[in-house]
Amino acid sequence: MSSELLESTSSGVIGRSPRQLAWRRFRSNKTGLITLSIATFLILSTVFATLLRDIFGLDPRARYNDLMNSQGFPTGGFNGISWAHPLGLEPGIGHDLLSRLLFGARTSFFVALIVTLSSVSIGLIMGILMGYFRGAVDSTLGRFIDFLLAFPAFFMIVALSLPMVQRLEATGLVEGNSARMTYLVLILIFFGWPYLARIMRSQVLSIRERDYVMAARALGASQRRIIFKEILPNLWTVVIVYLSLSLPGYLTAEAVFSFLGLGVQPPDATWGLLISDSIKYVINNPTYFFIPSTALILVVLTFNLLGDAVRDALDPRSEVT
Amino acid sequence: MFKTKTGSSRRGRRAFSGVVALSLLSGVLVSCSSSSGGAGGTLTFLTNSESWTHADPNRNYTGQHIAWFGSYMHRTLTAYARAEGAAGSEVVPDLATDTGRSSNGNKTWEFTLRDGVKFEDGSDITCEDVKYGVSRTFATDVITDGPTYAISMLDIPSAADGSSVYKGPYKADGNDTAAYDKAVTCSEDNKTITFNLKRAVGDFNYTVTYLSFSPVPKAKDTGDQYDLAPVSSGPYKIEKYKAKDEMVLVRNESWSKDADPIRNAYPDKIVVRFGVAEEVRDQLILNDSEPAAFSLDSVLPTNLATVFNEDGTPKEEWKSRALNVYDPYVTYTAVNVGKVPCVQIRKALYYARDFAALLQLGGGPAFGGDPADGVIKPLMGLDYKPVTGLEDFKPEGNPEKAQALMAEAKTACPDVYAKATGPGLTFDVGDTDTNKKSATIWIDSVKKNTGINLKFNFIEPGQYYAVVLDPTKQGDLSRAGWAPDWANASTVIPELFLEGAGFPLSNVGKDPAYAEFKQRAEANLSEPDRAKQGAEWAALNQYVMDQMWVIPGVFSKTQEIWGSKLEGIFFWEPQGAPSFGDIKVKS
Repeated sequence: MSSELLESTSSGVIGRSPRQLAWRRFRSNKTGLITLSIATFLILSTVFATLLRDIFGLDPRARYNDLMNSQGFPTGGFNGISWAHPLGLEPGIGHDLLSRLLFGARTSFFVALIVTLSSVSIGLIMGILMGYFRGAVDSTLGRFIDFLLAFPAFFMIVALSLPMVQRLEATGLVEGNSARMTYLVLILIFFGWPYLARIMRSQVLSIRERDYVMAARALGASQRRIIFKEILPNLWTVVIVYLSLSLPGYLTAEAVFSFLGLGVQPPDATWGLLISDSIKYVINNPTYFFIPSTALILVVLTFNLLGDAVRDALDPRSEVT
Repeated sequence: MFKTKTGSSRRGRRAFSGVVALSLLSGVLVSCSSSSGGAGGTLTFLTNSESWTHADPNRNYTGQHIAWFGSYMHRTLTAYARAEGAAGSEVVPDLATDTGRSSNGNKTWEFTLRDGVKFEDGSDITCEDVKYGVSRTFATDVITDGPTYAISMLDIPSAADGSSVYKGPYKADGNDTAAYDKAVTCSEDNKTITFNLKRAVGDFNYTVTYLSFSPVPKAKDTGDQYDLAPVSSGPYKIEKYKAKDEMVLVRNESWSKDADPIRNAYPDKIVVRFGVAEEVRDQLILNDSEPAAFSLDSVLPTNLATVFNEDGTPKEEWKSRALNVYDPYVTYTAVNVGKVPCVQIRKALYYARDFAALLQLGGGPAFGGDPADGVIKPLMGLDYKPVTGLEDFKPEGNPEKAQALMAEAKTACPDVYAKATGPGLTFDVGDTDTNKKSATIWIDSVKKNTGINLKFNFIEPGQYYAVVLDPTKQGDLSRAGWAPDWANASTVIPELFLEGAGFPLSNVGKDPAYAEFKQRAEANLSEPDRAKQGAEWAALNQYVMDQMWVIPGVFSKTQEIWGSKLEGIFFWEPQGAPSFGDIKVKS
């Protein structure tokens, strides 16, 4: 009976979960939809890069030396752009630039994704611990975070690169490029999590004092229940927004460190390496100079806009116009 | 001798009556017809290096640096003529009054010093100063990296361990100074120096063109530190020398043109700017922002197209400001024979690599050079003969031949085969962008054609030779480059392959083929008949290639560019460097 009553009363208004609401808001945002489809396409193509290589012959290690003149410049102008090589060739060595970008994106995305997910997870856990338990936990972790934030992280990453990579190689688990990538991932996570932890801490501090948490506590709910059922769901919005904004940040960071020679080394490709190589051609082969830089700008822009759209959708207070 | 330009090969110098090399640039050279005038101004050199490798005359073994210091600061008993083409390879008197008088079957050489030759402090240069300068070479623990011909040629007995019994001027205890005093003597008037050699050296007057035979005042010698403040005997002296910053040379008032027939000394001041970023260095000259500047380094491959046509000739507007010439070097990959004792594997590497792609990366035949067939350049007429047995070489790699050799290696030397195809061979190269790309080509083509794995060890360019010349640190393969020190392959074959020689990157001592090589090479060093000696060097070059102790690269070329206010520049063949001493700054 009561259920019938409910149904009849709600006939004019459709009940929607917050998730549905957010999706509706997101759908109405054109930028969000476009960037989402581009981002999905990019991520899928990097995930299935090996498949694309086999289907379209996009082999990043294949050299097309006959398409370059004796000085190693692609023939036919505009970096040798053709149907077979839509972005032309990598001058000097003759790799197909599109497949270099594709497989380079693989490395860049891989690093950025792992770093983002790990630093967000660690930041989330630490933030909750600090905010919820306060006291000694808060002050200990808080001081440690202050310590990390006070560190000149960039210079540490540059300075520690060589010795740390050698240490990693000495363990025998990783070597060469894997070691350099492992180092980059570990150190970026190490310096990356405190930011989110701080935000989470302040969020948790305010949430734990709200009435429904008090009520749960008064009803005798366990700490685990309070953290996972009462507090955590209220943090997701912030986490997702932070995630979508730090992914492009780490993409750029990976490019910067490869550019400086700390990341992956040839024969493997990353965007940073391609950009640092292309700079030398700015005068004699400007097309090559613009392609990887433009690609990086477009990808970072896409993810940033996507992040904005996600935030707009998840945060009911900021109405999409 | 070291080759520094690419950061990956050691440079040698060569005096040799070749004429072919420069045919290419007949239209390129700036005429230096106006011998009068042109004096004055400030000449600037730009380089990416942080300092000179060495400024100490005894430690300088880089062709370009020898040419530079020889032109401006350090005088030697004899020197190369300042002339274009083959004429430059002629030896002329410098500090000495003639090009040396030999006796005793070329085992005794005498040089008499000119009157009026002075150091920068105004004191006379005497025989004792030259004798002291030469003695420093023997202090191999202090005076490192220089040529060691004084040690191998002067008649001084060897100790039990093979080193000379004379240990240089810095040691007193257990040092046989008397042996040195007997080998090098000065006349009563301190003007004539006599060298007594242990074997006949017909071209010893070429040997003494080396700066390691230049005078050093004993009172000013600070041992290792002399590298920072050497005393000048030439037309300029150091006003300032600071690594990562600059070197400033000003006129040496004690030097007089009357006592120096070969140096011109046009500019008033010479400045070397160190540590200029490569791209900045090129752009400063390409845009003529520094019209009186000369780049000491090769043009970046990416900028070659600005200056040169595709066939390697300079573009019209660059005709008077650029050179593209064969230098005296042969580049190669030394195989550490001690670690890769398997001739089939070594040959498989030679046939497997994609040589054409490597050359294209280096600018192609127009800028990189021609495929080498050994360690002796064809320009060395007497000493060169085309190497046979390499007919299966294909520029883009010959997989059939390489695989056939690998199949042989599998049974002939299973250990090396297992190592090469399993954990792989390590390959030392300088840490430069171009080398990183060439590593990709090596790895891919060798893996595809032979199954051999290559692992590259990128070494900081300034440290490269220090690392690879240390047998405990050297890998299985090392990139290098070498040129003869003068017109005789006696400065190539023995220097590269005899144990204990100047540049033994191949470590061939334990190879079964070494005994015969050693016996023939040592015998040939004192062969009096130059034609017969040359034929034997050619035969030994063939012998080396039969064993594939090195994987030959290219007979290389070099490119130079400079600003619009400079003139008088030509390629000084014997030094493999521009004619620094003839550069004038237009007013």
